[in-house]
Amino acid sequence: MSKDSKYDLSKIYARVDRVNVSGLLRTHSDYVMRAADALFKANNFQDLMLEAMSAKSYLHELGIFKDVSVHIDISRGSDASPQGYEVTFKGNEYSRMMGSAGTEIGQNEGSLRTELTIPNIFGRGESISLQGSYSSTRANDLQLKFWKPFFHTRFMENRPEVSFSLFRQTDRFDISSFQSTNLGYLVDFSAHTMLGVDLTHSLQYENSIREVGLLNKSVPFGIRDHCGPKLASLLRYSVIYDNRDGNVFPTRGVLLKSVNEYCGLGGNIAYTSSTAHGEVNVSLFAGLVAQFCGRVGVLKETKQTTQLPLSSLFYCGGPLTLRGFKFGGAGPVIDGTPIGAQTFWATGAHLWAPLPFAGVFKNLASHFRMHFFYNLGNSNSFTTENMRSSFGMGLAVKLAERARIELNYCIPVKRQATDKITNGFQFGIGYEFV
Amino acid sequence: MTQYLNQLNTADKLATEPWPEDATIYQPYEAEQILLPENASCLAVKAYLKMCNLPFGVRSCANAEHMSPGGRMTKLPFIRAGAFIFAEFEPIVNFVEQKDMAIGSWQDEDEKADMRTYVSLVENIFTMAELYISFKNERVYKEVTAPRNGVVFPWPLNHMQNYGKRRNALKLLKVYQWDDLDIESVIEKVAKCCETLEYKLKEIPDTPFFYGDQPCELDAIAFGHLFSILTTNLPNMALAQTVQKFKHLVEFCRFVDEKYFQTRFLPE
Repeated sequence: MSKDSKYDLSKIYARVDRVNVSGLLRTHSDYVMRAADALFKANNFQDLMLEAMSAKSYLHELGIFKDVSVHIDISRGSDASPQGYEVTFKGNEYSRMMGSAGTEIGQNEGSLRTELTIPNIFGRGESISLQGSYSSTRANDLQLKFWKPFFHTRFMENRPEVSFSLFRQTDRFDISSFQSTNLGYLVDFSAHTMLGVDLTHSLQYENSIREVGLLNKSVPFGIRDHCGPKLASLLRYSVIYDNRDGNVFPTRGVLLKSVNEYCGLGGNIAYTSSTAHGEVNVSLFAGLVAQFCGRVGVLKETKQTTQLPLSSLFYCGGPLTLRGFKFGGAGPVIDGTPIGAQTFWATGAHLWAPLPFAGVFKNLASHFRMHFFYNLGNSNSFTTENMRSSFGMGLAVKLAERARIELNYCIPVKRQATDKITNGFQFGIGYEFV
Repeated sequence: MTQYLNQLNTADKLATEPWPEDATIYQPYEAEQILLPENASCLAVKAYLKMCNLPFGVRSCANAEHMSPGGRMTKLPFIRAGAFIFAEFEPIVNFVEQKDMAIGSWQDEDEKADMRTYVSLVENIFTMAELYISFKNERVYKEVTAPRNGVVFPWPLNHMQNYGKRRNALKLLKVYQWDDLDIESVIEKVAKCCETLEYKLKEIPDTPFFYGDQPCELDAIAFGHLFSILTTNLPNMALAQTVQKFKHLVEFCRFVDEKYFQTRFLPE
């Protein structure tokens, strides 16, 4: 590093004469063309190095290569310029078919997942995957998905992607004794915009048959009334703003997420649904992080609504929303059986701290945090009257930069008579907590 | 152990609690949706409760079949009485009998066993024949069964539901070995059953019901099926024509209808 001043790479003139991408067996060459764009603009060696690195990660994102290596050499030959360089990317394409099996973390459940992917079918990143996941507690999933990225077009900065999926999904709502089976297809268009702030958008159209079935014999009529298949046709728009420095244990930054659904474009289910989720992280001293989370959901009837679908109602309570309550245990009940609410809100304040003696086992300790939390929330009411609250502390573990597992000792403070609570240790697993 | 105690507890409750005022029968919409076998079993249950002189409400809903706790044949109708739910004729009858309000308590054990044989004969033969004509006869299926069954679902869900319903019906016919019969054999079976019934009816002459002056289960289920077959218009009226040949049975239907329902759908 001390040599930096002597060899300031940014002062060494450089010009890229040629860019080669090798290893393209099935991929059309126009699909990787844009990787070179920025490289040709580099006019010193430091730029060249940086651009080569970003081109490498761009090639990775295209979803055609297993791995890519970069070689930079001076250019030779008759038409080589004096300070010319030649950049070569050696890629190793994905095999025709890839399979994987493993575990996946969903909201409040772990599941077994298998996936079969045929990448890059037509040579421009188009892929098909067949995915199945099974969990003993809640959901079963089968999905056949075709997607095509448009990263190679002039909108490469926006990372546009189109996908089409056929899916069959079973959600069990044990607490309300019913399950919902969805069978249908989904068209998704997603893109980034960078107008001042970075946003990730996704616009989806879903057409599915939703069948409500009962899980046992003694089910209240309020739930039994919903049995049978219905056809849903809906538009879903979601937008995400995220500038946190980490997904699981961020130390600073803000996450805002909003999902809006309009159901009733044909079919016989009609509703509008909006949920918003926010998270603010503030770094304090000595590795302490203060975190404030909030989530709001509103399900509304439209003019065509005859009956709001059970499976779209919001379940408040549980390790992801209100700790210290059972999943869905802090909501309305009919005949003693909890049922989802039309509106809910939940907030949480956390103080995150590294484990004591974290310095000793640095690598391992980065996966663990301790936290103190205070949760507030309510169903079917936006006032603080009759609200539910709980506090406690616990240990959290990071799983693969995406999900976290929590073990908390919870003490419910305010509750309603019909609520189902878990006073004491509660286990939570998921990727979006309040 | 706990399960056994629960069962004991339930049986106890069944016997002691009075007939709930808000007992409700759930069935599909009669005008637009209900199919012949379902209509027959719904009518049988209604006739039975009326014969018992028990009050009940009727609620029509599009998803009645899906709400039902399930059953052996049509899954319909189902009754909601207090905390209890029972589907189809026999479970509902058993439920009523636990309450000592049932008709037929004057019958002795032998007569009861005899009558039960007739009840299951009537239920099996007529339900199968009704399923056969509704789902195996191409014209009846296309012109009546499919449009009626699919009426409450939007396209393309109606076709999927029709397909599923037909598959289940054919499966049931296969279980009872009715799937490879031709229409003549079906009519023959129905005629034979009617003959048995008419013979039974004439056993004690000059009384309106099968077992004398008072109605019993057999009267309810026979009425439900015979009346439905006689009054349902289908492109293939083979079943109705068969039943019409038995004048005493038609007369019996007219009598029960007049006494309990007063629909007067049966032509003179």
